[in-house]
Amino acid sequence: MSGRETKTFVVTRFDPDRDEAPRTQEYEVPVRGDWKVLDALNYIKDEVDPTLSHRWSCRMAVCGSCGMQVNGEPKLTCKTALREYGERVEVGPLANFPVVRDLVIEMDGFMERLSAVKPWILEAKGAAEVEGPHRQTPDELAAFKQYSMCINCMLCYAACPVVANEPDFLGPAALALGHRYNQDSRDHGASERHEVFRGEGGVFSCSYANECSEVCPKNVDPSKAIQQAKLLNVLDWAKGFVVPRGGK
Amino acid sequence: MLKLEPIVWPLFGLGMLVGGLLYPAFLLVATLAQPLGVLSADALSFERAHALASHPIGRVVLAAAIAFPLWAGAHHVRHLSIDLGGIARDAWFGALCYAVALAGSVLAVMAVVRL
Amino acid sequence: MRARVDAMKSSRPPRTRTADPTPPPNFWRRGNYLPYIAFGSCGLLLFAVGFGLLRLVWTLGSGDPAAWNAIFESYGHPLYLAFHAFALVALTWFTFRFFRLFPKTQPPKLGPLPRPPDSVFLLGLGGAFFVATTLASLVLGGALP
Repeated sequence: MSGRETKTFVVTRFDPDRDEAPRTQEYEVPVRGDWKVLDALNYIKDEVDPTLSHRWSCRMAVCGSCGMQVNGEPKLTCKTALREYGERVEVGPLANFPVVRDLVIEMDGFMERLSAVKPWILEAKGAAEVEGPHRQTPDELAAFKQYSMCINCMLCYAACPVVANEPDFLGPAALALGHRYNQDSRDHGASERHEVFRGEGGVFSCSYANECSEVCPKNVDPSKAIQQAKLLNVLDWAKGFVVPRGGK
Repeated sequence: MLKLEPIVWPLFGLGMLVGGLLYPAFLLVATLAQPLGVLSADALSFERAHALASHPIGRVVLAAAIAFPLWAGAHHVRHLSIDLGGIARDAWFGALCYAVALAGSVLAVMAVVRL
Repeated sequence: MRARVDAMKSSRPPRTRTADPTPPPNFWRRGNYLPYIAFGSCGLLLFAVGFGLLRLVWTLGSGDPAAWNAIFESYGHPLYLAFHAFALVALTWFTFRFFRLFPKTQPPKLGPLPRPPDSVFLLGLGGAFFVATTLASLVLGGALP
């Protein structure tokens, strides 16, 4: 196999039936020039060690399945080119998540956090059903479009220091998603979501480290969503003293 | 703690702004230029300082310059504590930080009133 | 950033035994973590300078010029000078980092007007810093009023 460089992959392994704690295992992989980290992992599983477990699907950075730590950085392995790395590449499960096995993390906590912000169109209480389609101008779409680009890859959770230190924190993706709905002109549930945002692990737990936006592969900029949400939350809270709540 | 967040966060932002705009000049002139003898003798003499401070504008500026940055300081210290693994102590430590800021704010108002 | 063992926990226990969440071993070196911690630590400086200023104003109100002068005498001590010089550099860095972070907090629309680009905020805040610092320096330094 001429023209193929060999790289050493130091992969975190963990089998709950056999291992007390995660350990590492090294694999020598002959890599092609255009390979991504995911290609190497699939080579390991196909040719070297079928017991390796890792999540992946679309291999084109739209499904959000293949998030892992590559040399300490949270990355989508299908999008991370091996030519950017030296002879040794360390691959581990996403940081800040419990590890189910090898490179697979437990995502139930993430799914619960997404649901907590009520990520659906909320109609105004007592409002009549909307006849026909909602109409939205390009400006109204632009108000939330960026935040709708999230692919739920959880890289932001792996990078966020507050996720590491505050177990109840809803996290960047969930809060950005909530803000996406607050900004959507079809939605009338902003006050309801702001109650969640003011609650345990809400927007005010964010300390603006900005790591989430640095690692986001889709330029969602969850940090911007959260900082805007803080200001809007304060305004919503203040409005609550002037305008009675309970039915909008 | 949660109930306070919508109050504390704007105070914290305002505090960073006020502190940022006023503290560098204060540090440069009052704590460095003055002790190093760069200023004229009466620039920060007791008489002149008192005259400036006791002016209505002076009182407001000084009270704001002391009080608001204390809230920014409290919020930063609290979050620093959490970042250093201290979420368990946040219930009392966070309250302590804000209590210190509140005490300082009250003292700031008292200080300018008694000028 | 040490990940707590209950980071990202769900309300249900996991179906199999999971390994504890961990941060990567280089967590303190990666990204903007160190500047971020430095930024937060400046909160301690804000406390220090704020209470220092309070002490000065309180002394002014006590009507004792000797006590006032004594404070400035003490400020001449090398340790005080070093601390204040450090605080000056740190808080100036802090202020400009705050200015850089500030635009993200602004909502997409300011009333009916669209939100200006980040550079407008930076210019405005930088200008305010320049004006405030100059004004305060001139007033404290004896050149104004």
